Amino acid sequence: MLATRAVLGPALRKVALSPRLASAATGILNEQRLNRPSSPHFTIYQPQLTWLGSIANRATGGGLSVLLYGFSLAYLVAPGTFDSAHVVEFVSGLPDAAKYAGKVILAAPFAFHSLNGLRHLSWDMGKFLTVKGAYGTGYAVLGATALSTVALVMM
Amino acid sequence: MSSSLILRSTVPRSFRAVSGRSALLKAVQARHASTSTTYVPGGPVYKGTVNDPTDFPPPSKSHGSYHWAFERLLSAGLVPLTAAAFVTSGSQYPVLDGLLGISLVMHSHIGFDSMLVDYLHKRKFPILGPIVTWTLRTATVGVLVGVYQFNTNDIGLTELITKVWHA
Repeated sequence: MLATRAVLGPALRKVALSPRLASAATGILNEQRLNRPSSPHFTIYQPQLTWLGSIANRATGGGLSVLLYGFSLAYLVAPGTFDSAHVVEFVSGLPDAAKYAGKVILAAPFAFHSLNGLRHLSWDMGKFLTVKGAYGTGYAVLGATALSTVALVMM
Repeated sequence: MSSSLILRSTVPRSFRAVSGRSALLKAVQARHASTSTTYVPGGPVYKGTVNDPTDFPPPSKSHGSYHWAFERLLSAGLVPLTAAAFVTSGSQYPVLDGLLGISLVMHSHIGFDSMLVDYLHKRKFPILGPIVTWTLRTATVGVLVGVYQFNTNDIGLTELITKVWHA
């Protein structure tokens, strides 16, 4: 032990007293970090109503907003092509199956995002903040979304 | 705001909370000095020595509790606005249509901004993050102008949706 200390003595002193060696070590460390993989996290998390519902809320909101932004910017840039007359004309020219599909594609995210939004607002008021509450309200939102989508498409 | 405290401490906010907290833990662990803020898997390598804490954004009510309260009030306000838009016609109540348009755009902007803060934070993406943030702000301004033009020179959002739905 003492022999090792005596042999390594000069090296130990150099490490302790030389700041250049310290930064070289961190440089090597950072370079190694760039080569390290990260463990699976997002890909292995068990699918659950909680986080699936949460990401679905974000995805539906994002999708509907992309539609809103896209249409508004398109109308701003080319009001002649995207005015209501042309849009209505284009939609009425589509086959019935496409119209139904389009209605479902628009109604389902809108219904889910609105109902899940109400779920979020109830959490913000301090209600249903348990596992049972989250799951109960989650299933209620899914059921209500299905019913609302049917109702909206029938309108 | 006890409800916000309850929310932050007990509800597993799934995606957002997990990514935010784990990024913070990794930032505290990656404490060694670096000449650059290269992105490494798990987070950027911070400036400073092993004894320096990670930096946090400065406490600010307008970016904190006021932002939160505004976001929730806006979302809650969208419920009666949308219900009213459903039962009336856009051309009869243009003020309602305008309010709905503005509220929807603001709600969408806050939603997009939350996605950027979660996935493209400027701490991790020092160049791309700010670029996309400012692109979003420009786009929102454009959308507001577009919505105004559409509501003024054309039939308005609620009327358009009604017509398209029954086309």
